[in-house]
Amino acid sequence: MSIESIKAREILDSRGNPTLEVEVWTSEGMFSAKVPSGASTGIHEAFELRDGDKSRYFGYGVLNAIVNVNNLISPTLKGMRVDNQKAIDDKMIELDGTKNKSKLGSNAIVGVSMAVARAAASIKGVPLYRYISQLAGNSNIRLPVPCFNVINGGKHAGNRLPFQEFMLVPIGAPKFKEALRYGSEVYHSLKEIIKERYGLDATNVGDEGGFAPNLTSPEEALTLLVDAINHSGYQDVIKIGIDSAASEFWNPKTSKYDMDFKNIGSSHLKSSLNSGEQLMSRYLEILKKYPIAFFEDPFGEDDWENHGKITAAIGNKIQIIGDDLLCTNPERIKKAISEKTVNSLLLKINQIGTLTETIEAAKLAKEAGWGCLVSHRSGETDDHFIADLVVGLGTGEIKSGAPCRFERLSKYNRLMKIEEELEKLHRSNGNSFEYAGEEFYHF
Amino acid sequence: MSVIKSIKAREILNSRGNPTVEVDLYTEKDGVVSSFRAAVPSGASTGIYEAVELRDGDKSRYLGKGVLKAIKNILEVIQPAVIGKSVSDQAAIDKLMIDLDGTPNKGKLGANAILAVSLAVCRAGAADRNLPLYKYISEIAGTKMRLPVPAFNVINGGSHAGNKLAMQEFMILPVGAKDFNEAYRMGSEVYHNLKNVISGRYGQDAINVGDEGGFAPPIQSNKEGLELLKLAIEKAGYTGLVKIGMDCAASEFKVENGYDLDFKTKNNDGSAVISGEKLGDLYREFIKEYPIISIEDPFDQDDWESYTKLTASVDIQIVGDDLLVTNPERIKTGIEKKACNALLLKVNQIGSVTESIRAALDSKNASWGVMVSHRSGETEDTFIADLVVGLGTGQIKTGAPCRSERLAKYNQLVRINEELGENHNYAGLTFRKF
Repeated sequence: MSIESIKAREILDSRGNPTLEVEVWTSEGMFSAKVPSGASTGIHEAFELRDGDKSRYFGYGVLNAIVNVNNLISPTLKGMRVDNQKAIDDKMIELDGTKNKSKLGSNAIVGVSMAVARAAASIKGVPLYRYISQLAGNSNIRLPVPCFNVINGGKHAGNRLPFQEFMLVPIGAPKFKEALRYGSEVYHSLKEIIKERYGLDATNVGDEGGFAPNLTSPEEALTLLVDAINHSGYQDVIKIGIDSAASEFWNPKTSKYDMDFKNIGSSHLKSSLNSGEQLMSRYLEILKKYPIAFFEDPFGEDDWENHGKITAAIGNKIQIIGDDLLCTNPERIKKAISEKTVNSLLLKINQIGTLTETIEAAKLAKEAGWGCLVSHRSGETDDHFIADLVVGLGTGEIKSGAPCRFERLSKYNRLMKIEEELEKLHRSNGNSFEYAGEEFYHF
Repeated sequence: MSVIKSIKAREILNSRGNPTVEVDLYTEKDGVVSSFRAAVPSGASTGIYEAVELRDGDKSRYLGKGVLKAIKNILEVIQPAVIGKSVSDQAAIDKLMIDLDGTPNKGKLGANAILAVSLAVCRAGAADRNLPLYKYISEIAGTKMRLPVPAFNVINGGSHAGNKLAMQEFMILPVGAKDFNEAYRMGSEVYHNLKNVISGRYGQDAINVGDEGGFAPPIQSNKEGLELLKLAIEKAGYTGLVKIGMDCAASEFKVENGYDLDFKTKNNDGSAVISGEKLGDLYREFIKEYPIISIEDPFDQDDWESYTKLTASVDIQIVGDDLLVTNPERIKTGIEKKACNALLLKVNQIGSVTESIRAALDSKNASWGVMVSHRSGETEDTFIADLVVGLGTGQIKTGAPCRSERLAKYNQLVRINEELGENHNYAGLTFRKF
C-alpha cells in the first residue's frame, strides 16, 4: 500500500513547547506519530528545526518544519510503498541534503519515519514491535527492564547534586508488569520519605517526573534511594542506575570536574574540583557501597580517555553507557567500539532522525557485544513508539522517566499491553518471549 | 447495527503512577470486529457525595490502590449483561449497569468499572454512526458544538502544595483569543513567562510541578499569587485578553468557627480564621482588583448560605465542584438556592456518560454555565475534550500546558478545531452561556 499524502500539525509536548504531529494517509487509513524533543541537544546530533519567531512560543514554533512535511516531503514520498522503510528514510535524507538534517529538520523527518512504520505494521497486520523486529532482523523479542528516573540533580534541579539522574532498575522482577509495580511502589515510598524529610514542596516533580529534594551529594541521594527500596521490601531486586551527565560539571578553565558546580556563591567548595582520576575513584567507591547497575555519561562527552579507563576497570561488572559521548551518531559509535570507550549505547530516535538509522545504530552496538538502552527525551508526548522499538529490537532496557506524568507512563503502559499480548500468544501457540531481567544488557 | 461482542479490562497506571482501569470494548457489525478503548480518571481528594472508586485495599500491592476487583466486576458482572446490546443504546446500557450495581453511589461494582465501559460504549456508538465522538455527543445530548475556553491551572496552593497559600488553584483563561489554537498558544506563553518569573525570584526548584502541571512557588498570600499571574500575563503581552480563575477548595480550610487562611501552618494561633461573610468580602475585593472571571468552591461544601450570598452579589462565574460533585440532587438544590451559577462537570464523580449529559443539561436549563473538568490522576484518554465540544459548554479545565496527560486533551482540541474549520465557534467571551 502506498502513501497518498502526509500532513503535519503543531501540538504541544509535555513541557508545553511546540512539536509536530505527523499523519500519513493511505487508502487503508491514517497513521500518526508525535515527535519527541530534547532540552539539551548536542552539536553531534540531528538538528531540530525551530521557527525562531520570538512573537510566537518564544521562537520554539515548528511551522517551518510543518511546511517542510506538507510541501516538500509529502509530494516526494507520494506513491511510495509504506513497507519500504529504508527507501523512504533514504529519500528524506537525500531530499534534506545536509549531514545533520538541518534543512528539512530532523523533527520533520523523524515524525514521518515513525508514522510510516506504523502504517506498514498495520497493513502487514502485525503489531509495531513485530514489524520493527522484522526490519531489524531480530528474532529475540523481549520485554525491557524499565529504568525509572526518580531523583534529579545537575542541570535538571535546583539542589546541589552534580549528578543529573538517579534511576531505579528492577532487574529482579519476574516480568515487566511486576517491574512496573515495584517501581511505582518504591516511587511512592520515596515520595513519602522525601515529604517527611524535606517538606511537601520537595515532592513536586521535574520534566521527567523525578523529585529534586535538597540533597548535596550523590551518596546522600543513593542512601535515600536505598532507604526507599528497603522500605518497600525490594532490596536485592532493584538496582540503581546513575546518569551523571558529566559534561555539565566539566570545567574547561580548570580542566576539572566540579562536584559543587551548582553552588556559585562564596561557599563553593574548592575541594569539589576533581580530576578524572579522582572522579573515577568516586565511582569505584560508589559501586562498592551501593547496588549499581550502570553509569551513564560518567565523564564529559569529549573525555574519551577516562571513559575508556572506567570501562576497562569495571566494564565487565556493570554497564558504562554513552549518551552525550555518542549522540546515537554512527561515526562516534564506531570510534567508541574500536577504542573500547564504553560498553553500551543510549539510543534516542530523534538524535539520529530516522527509524532506519536508529535500527542501524542498535545493530552496531549489538554486533560489538554492547548493551543498548532505548531512551525517551525530556520533551515527550503520549506517543509510545519507543516502547515498541525497545521490544522489537530486543535491547532489554528502556529509560522513560519516573512512574509519573503520562508522557512517561504511556510508554510503560504500552509495554504492559505488549507483555499481555505476548503472554496470550505464548499460551496459545508457544511463541517465546521473555523479560530481560538479569540479562538486561546483553542482546 | 453494531453490537457488543466482549470486553477486556486491564490495570494500567495513571499520571500519578497509581492503578486505574482501562477497558477495550469489542463490537461486531456485519461480521467485522472493532475495538474501542477507554481509561478512567481518578481524583486525589474525593468527597462523600460522589460516586465510589473501587480500590482493592490490598496493601501488598500498589499500597492498596489496585483495581483488580473493579476489573473483575467488569469481566464477570458487566460483560455478560451487556453482550449483544447495541452500542447505540447508551442510555439503556448505562441504566443497566447502574441497576446491576444497585447502590446510590456505585459502591458495589465501582464507578471506575461502570464509567470505563460507559465511555467505551460511547466511542463505539460514534463509530457506528461514522461520526467523530464530539459530534455524536452533540447529537445524543441535543446540544450545539463549540470549542471551549481552556482554564489552565498554573499556580497551586492549598493541599496541593507545600507553600502557605490557602487557595488551591489559580488559573488563566484566554477568553480574548480568536480561536482555540490561539488560546492554547496564549496559555503556553503565559505559563512560560510565569515559569521564568518564578525561577528568577524563588530559584529552580520552585518550577518543579504538581500533579496537574502547576507551580507551587513559596509565596505567603493568595494576593501574591494573583500578582504573579498578573505580571506573567503582562509580560506575555496579553493583558485584557487572558483573565484569571480561582479554585479555592474552601472545604480544605474550613474550621469549626470559620475559614482558616493560615491552615497550612500547623498549630497556628487561629488569628487568620475569618467568617464566611468576611471571606465573601475578600473575594469581592479580589474581583474588584484583578481580572477574575471565575471562582470555584469559594466556600465549604455544606455552606450553602455563603454561596448564595456571594453569587447574588457578584457578576462573575461562581462554580460548584465540592458543593455539587456532579450529583443531580445537589445540583437541584444548588439551582433552587441560587448557590452558584456554574457546575464543574467531572464524569467520574457521577459515573456514566448518560448521567454526565443529564447533569450538564440540568445546569443549562437553569441558565448555568458548565465547566468540564479533568481529575488529578489522568491518562492519555481524551474523552473530556470531545465531551466539552459536543455539549458546547464552552469551558474546560484540564491542568497546565505541561505533562502530557493534560496536554493530550488540549492537543485533541487542536485536532477538533482543525476538523471543524470555519465552524469552530470558539466560546471566548461567551464561555458562560451555552
